[in-house]
Amino acid sequence: MKLIITDLKEFQIPVTGIHKIIRPQRAIHPCIGCFGCWVKTPGSCVIADGYEQTGIDMGQCTELIYVSRCCYGSLSPFVKNVQDRAISYIHPDFVLRKGEMHHKRRYDNVISLSAYLYGEDITDAEKETARKILAANADNYDGVVKEIRFFKTEQELEGLML
Amino acid sequence: MKIALINGSPKVGNSSSRWLLSELKTFLVQKEQTTEIIEIEMHTPVVAEQDMEALCGAQVWVFACPLYVDGIPSHLLSCLIQLEQEKRRWQNRGSRSYGIVNCGFYEGIQAETALELFNNWCAKAEACWGGGLGVGGGGGLSQMPDTKNGQGPKAPIRSALLEMADQIVACGEMENMYQSVAFPRSFYKMAAQMGWRKMIKANGKKVKDLGARPESRICGWEK
Repeated sequence: MKLIITDLKEFQIPVTGIHKIIRPQRAIHPCIGCFGCWVKTPGSCVIADGYEQTGIDMGQCTELIYVSRCCYGSLSPFVKNVQDRAISYIHPDFVLRKGEMHHKRRYDNVISLSAYLYGEDITDAEKETARKILAANADNYDGVVKEIRFFKTEQELEGLML
Repeated sequence: MKIALINGSPKVGNSSSRWLLSELKTFLVQKEQTTEIIEIEMHTPVVAEQDMEALCGAQVWVFACPLYVDGIPSHLLSCLIQLEQEKRRWQNRGSRSYGIVNCGFYEGIQAETALELFNNWCAKAEACWGGGLGVGGGGGLSQMPDTKNGQGPKAPIRSALLEMADQIVACGEMENMYQSVAFPRSFYKMAAQMGWRKMIKANGKKVKDLGARPESRICGWEK
């Protein structure tokens, strides 16, 4: 099962298999750092705006795919917002992984992460940061990196098959 | 010199970012009494016009924020994009930007990627990056007792802020620094986990609920 998080309102990329696409269909509220998704409504975000269940969706998927504009090496604000609101995918307790502190698993699924990032002027430094961030995300989710690719335009993405 | 201390935490009230900027402000004023400090609250995805005007008049910008999923919070990312889009208003002020990123994990080095984002933003916005500080164990900073005579769990963080203040008043460039609280990692982990248990009980739930796996109420999976 593939969970796709994108900032594209019109998603034209063909996808095979069972999937879900989270895209900007309505306004999204930023994470407020309350940790309610861990200690009030464990597993889902307390902000009921239609984006509160992403952590649960992540618990059901095998692939997490970001299709996003690249902003300084980060995902774009919408995709990052969805990601910020989904920390309930992991458990608040800590474990040591690769010698560093990370969060414990809440679910048993191992996610493979991919990022397809677009932008006309993505610099080499931004590409390097994006690679590091995806690897760090995989460590935090206790998952693996599948691939990261960069595209100059949104149109170039249409050649993809997810 | 006018220095803008920018609180990029989503929390309006007490936060580790607020504590870090408050400490930095103390050091900046001690080092250079003619320094004018302005405090900007950046808690939403839009930079208010009055804040934009205030920023345009500052020679140094210091951003502070929590680490959010190995990057910066989405609302602050939106603000950086807005600042880049309006760079013609402020880029001739001949200044530097610095970053302070605190993470709930013990190791300050985990903030490296977020500091890189600030550095990359500077390159795009044609601003000068002055360097940053990654703080580990940030989750407990605002609750930990104050440092006295250079002692206590926050002492290494204060030392790093002091060093950063030296660079800021000189408008200098520094290598990124990474620091953690002076508190054993195992104790930090234990204290944090006790905190989660206390909080979930205060919300009328059981400790085992911390690991709940709720069912999705919203479908949307398709073939």
